[in-house]
Amino acid sequence: MSTPTVLHQPVPHVQAPQHWQRVDFISDLHLDAHEFTTFDAWVQYMAHTPADALFILGDLFEVWVGDDNQDPFALQCIATLKATAQRMPVYFMCGNRDFLVGHELLNASGMQSLSDPTLLDLGVTSKAKNTRLLLSHGDALCLDDHDYLAFRAQVRRPEWQAHFLAKPLTERQAYARDVRSKSEALKRNHTGYADVDTQAAIDWLQATEAQVLLHGHTHKPAAHDLGHGLSRWVLSDWHADSQPPRLEVLRWQREHASNPTHGLHRHCLVKD
Amino acid sequence: MSNPQVELHILDLGVITIELDAEKAPKCTENFLHYVNKGHYDKTIFHRVIPGFMVQGGGFEPGMTQKECDEPIENEANNGLKNNHYTLAMARTSDPHSATAQFFINVADNDFLNHKAPSMQGWGYAVFGKVVNGNDVVDKIAAVKTGRKGFHDDVPKEDVVIEKAVAL
Repeated sequence: MSTPTVLHQPVPHVQAPQHWQRVDFISDLHLDAHEFTTFDAWVQYMAHTPADALFILGDLFEVWVGDDNQDPFALQCIATLKATAQRMPVYFMCGNRDFLVGHELLNASGMQSLSDPTLLDLGVTSKAKNTRLLLSHGDALCLDDHDYLAFRAQVRRPEWQAHFLAKPLTERQAYARDVRSKSEALKRNHTGYADVDTQAAIDWLQATEAQVLLHGHTHKPAAHDLGHGLSRWVLSDWHADSQPPRLEVLRWQREHASNPTHGLHRHCLVKD
Repeated sequence: MSNPQVELHILDLGVITIELDAEKAPKCTENFLHYVNKGHYDKTIFHRVIPGFMVQGGGFEPGMTQKECDEPIENEANNGLKNNHYTLAMARTSDPHSATAQFFINVADNDFLNHKAPSMQGWGYAVFGKVVNGNDVVDKIAAVKTGRKGFHDDVPKEDVVIEKAVAL
């Protein structure tokens, strides 16, 4: 049996100005001090993307143990985000790994926080309807993953977070290592990832008058036709050491956007 | 006749005075006053806070216990009032005519919430009042830290409690 998901109304909204010609979407980079090549590819991407705006849709970090963590890796991430945020608006939605990102990181990096879900109105009129993307990390829509949804409900409680953040940094880092090793085990046996519930996706789109649900989390990149002119686009995770490397950006280009999905294309970043 | 006013006494933060637009939003006004006068809003919380967007309350007690509500009302979003900063509007589900007790205060000009067409998606959200005193209290609510509780996102970490709602 599926757990009902609640779409809380009204849903927040970002209006894309007409001068945004290219908008990039990334998620599930799972940045980690031990994954050098993925991190380097991300730093290169952040420095050179020709986008006019960047939306990060969750799990930028493999784990984020609190904004007070000032280790060299965290500082490098902040500097990279800040440099990009000085060139273009950078929007950040937290995922199931980095939900402890707080005001301090957002302020230090210059990113704007996004509630999950958020509507993005691209300001293109098609058949008298504005093209609207519904952005989400996607984990709340994986209704069959009961163990995970229970875990999510627990760790996102303010009491749990306050308790966790009150622990010494070293203890939190040990927890992060534990999460990482469990994640590695999941990647090896591929049993860890549930998928988004189709009816829930359609419900969310119809309730918000959006045509495209764009999300990450599942690590199953695809474009699903949901009928009724609706679709669900899934972002890829990043892993530079895989063969072939998974380093993918979903890019929307206004010049190709005669309808909402025509503007969306996957860009694989080639390593230097 | 002057418009009715309601005070929301927010624990530790101050008082928000709201003027209801009985002429342009008669049903919402009557509905809101009905819940005020029966004490529904006393000891409820602002349970959903999204800075730069809106703060929503009137439906839950501390601990995210949902309160019983009366019959939903007709959506009056086509009354010409706009979802501008510091206006009060009725919250609802995806059904346009499903508002009961929950309301929200806009903390930005949210044009996309305004009425566009009498369709399922185009109805928008019915504005029925505005803050006439206590904008600073609204700002304080919008600035609280938030997290997640159960299936609810953007829940304040410390309860923001409406001690009492008083019709003047």
